[in-house]
Amino acid sequence: MELQVKELLARLGGTDILRGVSMQAGSDEFIGIIGPNGSGKSTLLKCIYRVLQPTGGAVYLDGKSLTDYSFRESARRIAVLAQHNYYNFDFSVQEVVLMGRSPHKKPLEGDNAQDLQIVRESLELVGMSAFRERSFSTLSGGEQQRVILARALAQQTPCLVLDEPTNHMDIQYQLQLMDIVKGLKRTVISAVHDLNLAAMYCTRIYVMKAGKVVASGTPEAVLTPTLIREVYEVEAEVFRDRNGLLRILYYPSERGKDSCEEVGNSDLPAGQ
Amino acid sequence: MISMVVLLGVLVLSLLAAVTFGSVEIPIGDVYRLLLQKLYHLIFLHDGAWGDGSLFRTVWYIRLPRLILAIAIGMGLAVCGVVMQAIVKNPLADPYVLGISSGASLGATLAILLGVGAVFGQNFVGVMAFLGAFLVSLAVVGLANIGGRANSVKLLLAGTALSSVCSAFSSFVVYFAHDREGMQTVTYWMMGALGGATWELDGVVLLVVLAGTIFFMTQYRTLNLMLLGDEAAVTLGTDLHRWRQLYLLVSAAMVGFAVYAAGMIGFVGLVIPHVIRMLYGTNHKRLLPLSALTGSIFLLWADVACRTMIPGQELPIGILTSMIGAPCFIYLMARKRYGFGGGA
Repeated sequence: MELQVKELLARLGGTDILRGVSMQAGSDEFIGIIGPNGSGKSTLLKCIYRVLQPTGGAVYLDGKSLTDYSFRESARRIAVLAQHNYYNFDFSVQEVVLMGRSPHKKPLEGDNAQDLQIVRESLELVGMSAFRERSFSTLSGGEQQRVILARALAQQTPCLVLDEPTNHMDIQYQLQLMDIVKGLKRTVISAVHDLNLAAMYCTRIYVMKAGKVVASGTPEAVLTPTLIREVYEVEAEVFRDRNGLLRILYYPSERGKDSCEEVGNSDLPAGQ
Repeated sequence: MISMVVLLGVLVLSLLAAVTFGSVEIPIGDVYRLLLQKLYHLIFLHDGAWGDGSLFRTVWYIRLPRLILAIAIGMGLAVCGVVMQAIVKNPLADPYVLGISSGASLGATLAILLGVGAVFGQNFVGVMAFLGAFLVSLAVVGLANIGGRANSVKLLLAGTALSSVCSAFSSFVVYFAHDREGMQTVTYWMMGALGGATWELDGVVLLVVLAGTIFFMTQYRTLNLMLLGDEAAVTLGTDLHRWRQLYLLVSAAMVGFAVYAAGMIGFVGLVIPHVIRMLYGTNHKRLLPLSALTGSIFLLWADVACRTMIPGQELPIGILTSMIGAPCFIYLMARKRYGFGGGA
């Protein structure tokens, strides 16, 4: 599974949102896309999962342009966990997850035992088995998000696109969701709001600002105080904690210096 | 599955029970004896011409066709209600929502007051109503596609806009026609009536409704996806755009025929899908067939009530369905904090 984005342009309501974005994702990579609000992360992802038609450039899936795939074909290769999943109608959790099987179905084909088995396994994986018969609309935001992840898993695609999947979730579930996704051994492309999560889970990171990729590489290479200042306009300190994990702390820019010194005096592990 | 078999049984029993009700007093035994004799002649002697006597004619040519028509129209309206609610992604939609009703009444008004379409023969009012309904639906699809692909909201807006245009023209015609009797006919027609039923009419309407219902039953997956919205549907492999328009036109044909045969009958298409959704959930795999059967049973008994409630007089069925339907709807909303499923 090889996904390539070449010189993507997108114009929405007269504004250029994407101004020539290129990126690629290979098998089993966990790609993080970071950048401030309005930098074009969601727009890029929407072009990849075909909800938006780019005004220029193209997305290639295994060397073939995405527009040459039918929607059914692309839905068998890319599954999506989007930001908003609010439905005005009542479906049971199982019914929602079962919809993940629809790209694999011929027009008049019913659901068979194998589909139900896949649904069971997907719910198991996200820890929502006990909620199978519950009404989707009665679940909390985080639970709904996990059910939608199960639906994406039921699609059994080699690639998974996540658009800030952990928004509005408790920390416990943020980590849990990222752990599940990380453990899937699939190509993952995810917009990530939280730089610490990005540092912890991504194999590679693309940094976006004003519709362009301004940096890319491993978390260590990309997440530096200089880049964070440039892109997010905040002061940051980057260091490894006692478990060797990359950590980022932020300070308001005008008080940056003082705060840094304060931290320096405390017994937190020193930055590198 | 069990529910479907049970409802089918209820429908058959209802038909058998309903045929014994009527303004003419006929002993129950006689009704069934007449029907069995007729069926015997039809099946074994291939002699469709059998049957004489006013009692027989009442049962075979008046009561039965009317009940079959009630079944067909109840089914059609309930199914189209379900489909329209999915198309516009709004649980308050009914079969008439996208301009179909005002298109139909404009057609009927033109026919009744100005005699437009008299070439269509005896039931030219119905034909004009059908044409009005269908043309307005086409116009709604066309209008919603201007300046980008149609979506639920644009369809709803186009429907509302064209409805206003049609009602304005209807009022215009009514005002300048100065035809008191014609106005009364229009009003009466808008209330809906099953009195025009014949076997020929039943055949056509039943065929259209059954074909449409079976078609939509095969489409349950796409109908489910419609409720998730365009974006989620694309990520699940379906582009809803074309399906939405196809479904709209199929429903318009179904509703058009219902209007042609019986005028406007409100609330069936709104309330029945809600009742079924409350009891069995939103999945169209169950929702469609169950709504179809329940709609049939409901309209069948509504027709019986219309004919028997006021002795010697018949109540227009549209009035009755609204009188039963609206309070039912309010009760459902109040009782279960039924936020139309979700968002409650």
